[in-house]
Amino acid sequence: MKQSPADRKAFENMAPGVLTAAGFLGNDERTLDRIIAEDEEAFLEHGLDFDKVADRLEDLAREGEQGMGEPITIGRLLVQSGEARGMLPCPWGDGLYHKNAVSVRPADIPPEACTEGEDMLIYSELSIHMLRVHHFCQGKGSPFRLDAAVLKQLLDL
Amino acid sequence: MSPILVGPLAVAGISTVLALIISILDKVLNNYGEMEISINKGEKVLKVKGGSPLLATLAAENIFVPSACGGRGTCGACKCKVVTDVGPHLPTELPFMSPADIAANVRLSCQVKVRQNLEIELPRELFSIRKYRTHVEKIRDVTYDIKEVLFRLDEGEIEFTAGQYVQLVVPPYGDIKESVQRAYSMSSVPSDRKHVELLIRLVPGGIATTYVHKVLKEGDPVELVGPFGEFHVHDTPATMICVAGGSGMAPFKSMFYHMFETGAFPLKEVWYFFGARTTRDMFYLDELRALEARWPRFHFVPALSEPKPEENWTGQTGLITDVLDRHLQNVIPKPEAGWEGYLCGSPGMINACTNVMKKHGIVENKIYYDKFA
Repeated sequence: MKQSPADRKAFENMAPGVLTAAGFLGNDERTLDRIIAEDEEAFLEHGLDFDKVADRLEDLAREGEQGMGEPITIGRLLVQSGEARGMLPCPWGDGLYHKNAVSVRPADIPPEACTEGEDMLIYSELSIHMLRVHHFCQGKGSPFRLDAAVLKQLLDL
Repeated sequence: MSPILVGPLAVAGISTVLALIISILDKVLNNYGEMEISINKGEKVLKVKGGSPLLATLAAENIFVPSACGGRGTCGACKCKVVTDVGPHLPTELPFMSPADIAANVRLSCQVKVRQNLEIELPRELFSIRKYRTHVEKIRDVTYDIKEVLFRLDEGEIEFTAGQYVQLVVPPYGDIKESVQRAYSMSSVPSDRKHVELLIRLVPGGIATTYVHKVLKEGDPVELVGPFGEFHVHDTPATMICVAGGSGMAPFKSMFYHMFETGAFPLKEVWYFFGARTTRDMFYLDELRALEARWPRFHFVPALSEPKPEENWTGQTGLITDVLDRHLQNVIPKPEAGWEGYLCGSPGMINACTNVMKKHGIVENKIYYDKFA
């Protein structure tokens, strides 16, 4: 599949050191269009809808803010909403988002026993935007990756 | 020569020539020669090599403007007033600028390149900020996700006010290919000028905190830049109402032990509210209770938001804002000099506590905090 100029520019922006020190691709060696296409397939397989997942993640982030930086139990989940200084632009250049990090994990497992990308999700305002608008879940190995299987299992969707 | 090789070799040759031309053009076009930066109307005048961002140029001259994103224009911390006209604000600067900032020629120093002689204004405190080479003397787990890290300065001494912060320079590690800096409040007392102690909580996905928690070892060399910040004890007789959670403990530990050790601010009563979720998130409980027993002006109120029955917690429970509200309503005497608020935590916690304090009559300009976020 041929990449559009916008996707090509976004892919360049996702490299480590451009917009963030770690970048958005983890150790994934696939092209951007393949990452998106395969995640779209995975969402279909798991019966997930990008908008509904984005809505749920937004709700959890908002509820997590009640913990004022400390973890808070929401249903069977432990949610922690933290903020950092500043704003991050979307790699596609269509918006600026507050730097924050929300972690979601099962409340019945000690926090230190959870592993990013396995039974714990980390996301930000920008992650939700990229998921909703660009269907981009981040590359494999990125701590902020929103993997379809983990979303399905953790969020009971 | 095989015809198969002609194409690739031709492409490689053309690429090499183009790269050479670009490199030469870059050297010629971007060679701005020596420039002059006048700071605060000539209080300091620097002769520098032009062409680089102002932030990096100042850092090369040992003037460290706070920055948390390594000059990518995403943290908005490195603001300074550029008196010289260097053109309109860039799109990357505008999200961080208020109309007053724009009117006053405040710029992000990481986004302004030194392409002409510049006149700028900087807070004088920045002149005393230094980069310190240190080694990690001790790392201790105070909870499952907070480490107390003690750094010993390799040379010289650090002078700071209790409540200030330093920037920890994280070197490249693993997949992180460039150095980053993050701000952490100092928890050590100012009288120990050979050490800096920090409390660092693991933030999932955080570059600096992951480095501290997973990579950093005792004996490792680390650079610190500082001290920064305006958060300090105000010299008034007003009672201090302090609130923190998690690693927000750090500046208060420094303030309380400094006050206890030196007898500073002898008229101040101190109330300290510390919120955690469970006893596993609570730390320094014994130390602070011992301090409370030895220092009659100090009142420690730890609170758990989600205590488990098996923890047998007998202290305060609920969100720290609720605990604070109850105490301001019913428990803490209000002296003639009134109350002052001191906060360290997330923006959400600062906003919520500010609302509770204002409800009880603490005016906003008597509520102090460092805005890290």
